[in-house]
Amino acid sequence: MSSPAHTGRGSRRARKQGAADHVPIHLYGLRRGTVTVLTLICGAFAAFVLAPIAWLAINATKTQANVYGTPGFWFARPFHLFQNLSALGRNISGAGVYLQWLGNTLLYAAVAGLGSTLLSALAGYGFARFRFRGANALFYLVMSTLLVPITSVALPLFLVYARVGLVNSVWGMILPSMVSPVGIYLMRTYIDASVPADLINAARMDGASETRIFVQIVLPLTVPGLVTVLLLTVVAVWNNYFLPLIIFSRSRLYPLTVGLSSLSRQAETGSKAELVPVLITGGLVTVLPLIVLFLFLEKYFRGGALQGSTTG
Amino acid sequence: MTHIPASRPRGLGRRGSTRQWPGAVFITPHMLALALFMLVPTVYAVYDSLQTTRLIGGTHFSGMANYRAVLHSAEFWEGVRRVLLFAAVQVPLTIGLAFLFAAAFDAGIVKYSRFFRTVFFLPFAVPGVVAALMWSFLLLPGFGPYAKLADGIGLGHVDFFSSRMILPTIVVIVLWEWTGYNVTIIYTSLKSVPQQITEAAIMDGARLGTIILRLKLPMVWPTITMLFFLNTVGALQLFTEPSILAAFQPQSVSFGFTPSLYVYNTAVGSGDYNLGAAAAVVLALIIGALSLGAFALRRRRGEFA
Repeated sequence: MSSPAHTGRGSRRARKQGAADHVPIHLYGLRRGTVTVLTLICGAFAAFVLAPIAWLAINATKTQANVYGTPGFWFARPFHLFQNLSALGRNISGAGVYLQWLGNTLLYAAVAGLGSTLLSALAGYGFARFRFRGANALFYLVMSTLLVPITSVALPLFLVYARVGLVNSVWGMILPSMVSPVGIYLMRTYIDASVPADLINAARMDGASETRIFVQIVLPLTVPGLVTVLLLTVVAVWNNYFLPLIIFSRSRLYPLTVGLSSLSRQAETGSKAELVPVLITGGLVTVLPLIVLFLFLEKYFRGGALQGSTTG
Repeated sequence: MTHIPASRPRGLGRRGSTRQWPGAVFITPHMLALALFMLVPTVYAVYDSLQTTRLIGGTHFSGMANYRAVLHSAEFWEGVRRVLLFAAVQVPLTIGLAFLFAAAFDAGIVKYSRFFRTVFFLPFAVPGVVAALMWSFLLLPGFGPYAKLADGIGLGHVDFFSSRMILPTIVVIVLWEWTGYNVTIIYTSLKSVPQQITEAAIMDGARLGTIILRLKLPMVWPTITMLFFLNTVGALQLFTEPSILAAFQPQSVSFGFTPSLYVYNTAVGSGDYNLGAAAAVVLALIIGALSLGAFALRRRRGEFA
């Protein structure tokens, strides 16, 4: 009887003494220099990862001639960043206005993010805390949509939109983005772990309605999970390219991804001057908000970094 | 086992079971969205793929004609072959590299590992469109810094966009985009392996390499197979990167470079929605068949818990 309790306490103490969250590395008996070599390899990969972003930031400050004519990884005069930024507010290419695309993207990401979070929370709660007929089959149906190619849904969506008049409609972009199998999976797991069934039953005994239980007990207990789902949806919508490419033909509805791609076509095919720096600056402004969001809310991303390449 | 239900108050359990219907209500909004924006379009696409639209004469039922056209299209199959090859190279490379990084971080044998984990994950925040744009400029023949670098270290004039190099180039771009994401997931999974197991293995005299490959890898294998699925499904749908590169080097990225490009160019480019729908259905079936096959194989080998 007492021996399991002993070992339990003992190992807990051992863990506390170990302090670090991993086994002390001298125990591995590594050859000298191994840590240095591995750190250098990681450093090389970090350079590989950071170089394109650094290139983007540096070249956003250049004129078109300097983008092509000066070393890519260093600055050049004249410092053209502010001119490039102000060009984002003008329709210099005939392809559309970057600022408008930024506004559209913010709108799509915010509305779809909030909607998807609410739907995922509702459904995750339904699957986690109730056993109703067909629950398992429906959950498997939801999970199987993870494997459905986005190409195979975007084109059919367009075909249906053409019938019901949702082509070039904001809702045609927002509503499908609210369907999130990963969101439901995360919310179900999260509610399973952090909303005790006894608490819900107790509230029921006290006469609380189901809606009230959801709003006043379940939602407050799952805030970290909700933030994770919100962030993942925002990133997925922000980065989505195929769906908006297919359903929007009017450039004033474009999100950033489609806008930038049409700008790049203009920059390459047309002879319109000074488009390349605008393209580069536009890319930088597209990336920065998400990187900032990510650096500040990293733990939420890690918590649910499950969002598959299926949504890319 | 039989004691456990008895310990729960009986009345509560029964009362709970009369309150199960709200579950169906809670999942309804999402299921409705799922039906309207995934199931209905899918069914409609199948219907559409069985029609043919002529400029003169309108739309009429044409049976399997569109499917025959897709299945006989050499261009479509060339695209399928290309993404299969792409997946066969990119997916194991990405996951293998990610596992090695994650295992090193987990063992604590790398300095500044927190910093590295953050940096590696950053491309997750970069849209595929922007990633492809940056890399296009970096690799542009004659001007791109990396093209110059290749020349500088004696590789000569490398055209990263030539028809021979374009696929390896895309592998590098996708590796850049997704390695850190895979590191994060595998690292989280490795962290859940109890430390005592590692300590016991060290007591038994196991070397670090043995611990990582023989002890930890099997324990995170379910996570790795899941990542295999997700990465492969993503790889087979390859679209964004080649479609952006096409703006820079149109001759290397053909009409049906990947099946997704074939679908897009057929439907939106050429305006043949019926044929595009048929191609989309065939692509979905190929991906579905591969997934089911892998799933069955995994199940037979008893790896699916």
